[in-house]
Formats: sequence, structure tokens, C-alpha cells
Amino acid sequence: MTSPTAIDRREALRQAALVLGGVLSAPLAAGVLAGCEARGTPDAAWRPRALTPDQAELVATIAEQILPATDTPGARAVGVHRFIDALLAESYRAGERERFVAGLTDLGRAFQASTPDQQRALLERLDREAAPFFRTLKDLTLVGYYTSEIGATRELHHVPVPGRYDGCVPLGQVGRTWAV
Amino acid sequence: MGGVTRDDLYDAIVVGSGITGGWAAKELCENGLKTLVLERGRHVEHGKDYVTEWLQPWQLPHRGRGEQALYERDYPIQSKNYAFGEATRHFFVNDREHPYVTPHDQPFRWIRGYQLGGRSLIWGRLCWRWSDLDFEANLRDGHGVDWPIRYKDLAPWYAHVERFVGVSGERLGLPHLPDGEFLPPWELNCAEHVVKRGIERAFPGRHMTITRVANLTQALDGRGPCRARNQCARGCSYGGYFSSLSATLPAAQRTRRLTIVTDAIVHSVTYDERKDRATGVRVIDRNTKETREYAGRLIFLCASTLGTAQILLSSATRRFATGLANSSGAVGHNLMDHISKAGASGTVPGLEDKYVYGRRPTGTYVPRFRNLGGRGDAKLGFVRGYGLQAGAGRDGWTRGTELPALGAELKRQLREPGAWQMTLQGYGECLPRQENYVDLDPARTDQWGIPLLRVHCAWSENERAIREDVKTQSAEMLEAAGCKEVETYDHDGPPGFSVHEMGTARMGRDPRTSVLNAHNQAHDVPNLFVTDGACMASSSCVNPSLTYMALTARAVDYAVGELKRGKL
Repeated sequence: MTSPTAIDRREALRQAALVLGGVLSAPLAAGVLAGCEARGTPDAAWRPRALTPDQAELVATIAEQILPATDTPGARAVGVHRFIDALLAESYRAGERERFVAGLTDLGRAFQASTPDQQRALLERLDREAAPFFRTLKDLTLVGYYTSEIGATRELHHVPVPGRYDGCVPLGQVGRTWAV
Repeated sequence: MGGVTRDDLYDAIVVGSGITGGWAAKELCENGLKTLVLERGRHVEHGKDYVTEWLQPWQLPHRGRGEQALYERDYPIQSKNYAFGEATRHFFVNDREHPYVTPHDQPFRWIRGYQLGGRSLIWGRLCWRWSDLDFEANLRDGHGVDWPIRYKDLAPWYAHVERFVGVSGERLGLPHLPDGEFLPPWELNCAEHVVKRGIERAFPGRHMTITRVANLTQALDGRGPCRARNQCARGCSYGGYFSSLSATLPAAQRTRRLTIVTDAIVHSVTYDERKDRATGVRVIDRNTKETREYAGRLIFLCASTLGTAQILLSSATRRFATGLANSSGAVGHNLMDHISKAGASGTVPGLEDKYVYGRRPTGTYVPRFRNLGGRGDAKLGFVRGYGLQAGAGRDGWTRGTELPALGAELKRQLREPGAWQMTLQGYGECLPRQENYVDLDPARTDQWGIPLLRVHCAWSENERAIREDVKTQSAEMLEAAGCKEVETYDHDGPPGFSVHEMGTARMGRDPRTSVLNAHNQAHDVPNLFVTDGACMASSSCVNPSLTYMALTARAVDYAVGELKRGKL
């Protein structure tokens, strides 16, 4: 919460709140925040901190296999690999981080020696068997994707301020899984 | 001791700004008393300081996964609380900076929020009245001491606080869970309706209702309504839920009789033996660590069950060598919490074409059905009872990790919600026991020089027996309601975990066995009142905050009367 971006965002929110007499409306809040988020690092300038660039690329490749681009963008486009790298760098303890990197290295060896079809078959087998490292990677990919703005608002459905609760509506009225 | 400031004599000093401190402040100020509220934590301004309130999932630096290494180092206890997370961490204490002592094999999870508003910012908001089943329990089965009050004494004060808090709920007409002054209830969802019908058909006398909760279904006095975001513990600019910051402290401030001082850690209550009165409090500045004193005619301790015990124990005098107002020796003893984190869950079949709109900030509830005085009670193998907190919802995207699917197929499946799941969780009564107690460490102090609190607390056979019954009954009810894949669960739940700790300065009829009388007034020190959870003589099985609030308002009414009659 101490990065310049966060402070800018808070300041922007505060000013917006003043304009509206204290309580920020949801659509405006979303606009202000999206504007701030767009100031993030462009892909070419991004450097991983916990992973090597090759490892980060491998994470992006596998994550895209788990959640690919369809009629909405996939895991690579929303930066799942960046999220995973940040989590490894900032949240994980050293031992956990090393275990993750070791698991990734193992998977990478098998993965990179394979054709695309073999890669696909390998991941499907690991998924069926719930192999521990793959399970971790799948979990982090899902978190990174479905909590991203695209994942939450375009792939799924998100309303920051619902305003009411209806306990029983036709699924079609919401249309998709709630992001939160 | 350092500088002493006795420049102002306050009519009343309230220690703590949480749910009871806020009520004490409001009622004292509205009764015309010049009141000082002392808060040990930082200042938090309603709205402005809810710094994570508007952040969307993608704007949380770690997407809600938090910083595990930091939690293990600085928040090993707080991070176990359900409301703790990346968006709420700043409303919980840093465990490393606020140590306490427990025996190695006997953990106690002390969940704390040291800031203006205290834990009222992060509380669970369930509001239940007690009944005479609770107030007479100690007398009936011999555990603890008899409550000096009964339901009729507190009923008008329940109504008084409910009207101001704004409690939404359904009237049930149950004698053991008395109805109150309710705003319209939140809705049950489709799956909860199915389970409710199933339970009530299979088990006559058992009910499922929406929880009675301090989330406003209608606007009240300029607060709310709740916008159904279900992120209360971040703070709510709408004032959609009740807290000291949204409700009681602003009401007190409107009287212009309130002074709030934050970063003021109360070390002890000062006492004048010749006058037989508390004279004020001794405070250590959180930042400068300097000592100062405040003088007041009335002292209200609302510092939380363990905080208040710590202050009383630290306030020993020549007359009260083991702690102020402790001629009974009961200060610190009879610590209770509720059992929780055990129950059952299952899948509610069907309803694939139904969903919910919005995020209801609460769940459903099965009121106590054990030991209500019917046949079969004796066979149960435990006294007292439990209620079940419950709720249903459809599985979301997090189920994807378990789904054997990848790629476009995985995305397609997760785009639609999964099955309806229903969970029941027991909240069970804990008996008052002398051997569950807190005292002061004779050697170690915190960074402010205050002796560390030592907590000795363990469950007894009765709580373990309740826990087993919770699991069996929860599973049977879900099965009877037609749920599939019903499984019981029992998670690690040491005392403290339910954040319903109470009992360390209990009320009672006899000054030899209790600390407080029927008006929360110390038997030993007439102008000293304790109205937080410390005052509780038993624990009931329902969430306790509403009872703390009602007792606080009632105690203020009495104290103000006594003051005006010249008796204090």
C-alpha cells in the first residue's frame, strides 16, 4: 500500500469523494481506479523478481494452457505470471519459494522436451492425478485470473456495490458466476 | 510516575471505544455528563480511514492472498480470524508488538483491534437477546454463580439498544430466543428455504431463521442502508452496519460533552482509600511512553474482557493487594469463550437455474434446541446448549482447482456457478470455571512497562460433549433435509477463537464470590463500573455483544441516577 501508484490512487479517490459529497459512486470509482491501474508497467519493461525471465515465461505458457484466450483474454494477457512472481517475491517464505521453483524446474524439463500435443497430454495427466506442484500452479493461475479486472468483470460477473440482496433469482438474470 | 495532569475533572471516564465503550459514551453524554473516552490505539475516522473500502479484487496487491511470511512473523494469532485478510489487516493488532503469555500446550487466541472503534469495526454483527433459560442456568445446574438479574430487568434495555443499533431479523415467538425490535429481515436464499423446510418437517421444535444482524435493511438516523457488499470489516462509509464509529461515538459527539483521546493506554485505575472511590486513571502515551493521569467521578471499564482484567489486576492498592475491586478474588477468573468451528456441510441438490443477486452480509441460524426442559435432556450427557450458524451458496470459480479440467473447457465450466452447498456451524455455551483464568506475569512487561497478561484457558468435558453433539445433529439435519455428500468437520478451535471471551469480573449477588453487582457496579468501589464482556456470569450460546450493549446502557442509567442522588 505504499507504492506511489497506491498513494496516487487513494488521492484520486479522495478527490473524487469530495466532488460527490463524501460517498463515491461505484461507476465513478471504477473509472478512477481503472485509470490508475492502466499506469502499470508495460509488458516489455516488466522484470520478474522471484523467477528468472525464462521461468516467468514458462509460468505464463502453462497458465495460458490452464486458462487460454477464448472469447475473453487468457491468463497470459491478464498477467497471471506477474501475479505469481509478485506473490513468490513478497508473500512466500524462502523455503516455500525454493520448493515452488524446484517444482517449476522439474515440470519445465518435461514440458520443454515435448511437442505441443505431448505438453497438453502431460498437463492433463498431472491435472487428473492432482500432482502437488501442478495443483499449486493451477490454484495460483485461477486466483490470478479470476481476481484480475478482465477475469472478474468480463469472464465472470462483478458488481462492486450490489445495493440489495435477492435470495432467489433466475440464473439467466445474473448470467455468469459471481467473481466475489 | 511522570507528569500528572489533573487539569480537568471529567464527570465520567470511559476506558475503551469498542462496542461497549461507544455505548457508555453515548449514554453518559446524552445524560448530561462531561465524558472522556480513552482509546489505546490510533485514531480512525469514519469513512476517510477505511482505506481499502473501495479496492476491487484486482487492486489488492496480493489479490487477497496476503503476505504469508509477514502474517507468520507479525500476525500468527490474528491471521487465524475469519475477518483477517489483506483488506482488513490494519484493523488487527500486530501480535509481535502486543504479546501475552499462554502455557505451551494450552493456546488461547486473543483477537484484538486496537484503534478507535476497537473490534466494533470488525465484529460479526449478530444480535440475540438472552432469555431466562440463560440467566437462570447457573442457579439451575450449579455451575458459576447466580446472575443477579433476570430477563425482565434487561428486556427494556435490549429494546433501547436495538432501536438505535438497527437489528434486522425475523420474529419467531420462541421463549428461549426472545423477539426484539427488528428491521425487516434479510432474505433466505432458495437452497436455505429447502433446508429450512426439511429440518422443520423432520424435527418438530427446531427452526431455521435468518440471523438477527446489525446490518441495516432500511436507513436509520442517516445511516445505511447496507449495500450488500459483504465486506464490512474493511469499514463502511455508508454506515451500513453498526459500529462505534458509525453510530455511538457520533451520537455522543453531537452532545458536545465528549472528549476522545487516542493513543492513551490505561495502565491502572487510581483509587483514594480515604474516600473509598476511584479517582481516575493512569495512562501511558502509546507513542511517547510518558505517563499522565486523568480524573473522573465515574469510571467505566469497557476495555474488553481481558483488557479490563489486566487493568484491574494492575491497579493493586494497599487495600486491594491482588487488584482493584478484587476482595472476592474473582477478578481474572471464570474466563469463557464459545466453542465453534465444528459442524457439517452438504450439497443441496437441484436449483441449477437459480442464483442470488448481491452479497448478503450474514447467514442463517438454527436456535438452540437442546436442554430446553423437555424429555430426553438427561440423556444428552451435557448441560446448556448450542445454536447453529448456517448458510448456503453456490460454488464459484475456486472449485476449479479441484475440477479435472483444463483450457477452454475449464473456463466454460467455471463461467457458470457450481452446486449449492449448505454449511452448519455450532456455537456452544462454555461453563464458567475458576481454573480458566488470567493473571499478570511477575517478570515480563510489554514495551509500555505493563505486566504481560498470562492466559490459562482450556475446554472442559462439557464443551467437548457439546462439540460432538453439534457434529452429529448437524449431519442428521442436513441428511433429513435431503442434502447429499453430507460430511462433518471439526477444525482446530482453541479458546478465544470465537472472539466471545467473557467472564473475568463477573456479576453476582454475593460480594464474596463476584466482582460486580446487578448494575455492573463494583461491589468494592461504588463509582467503578465494568460493562464489557468481563461482567458476564455465564456465556449462553448466542453471540454476546447485544447483551453487553444492553447491560452498558442499563448501568449508565443507574450510575447517572446514583450520581444525581449524591451517592457516588
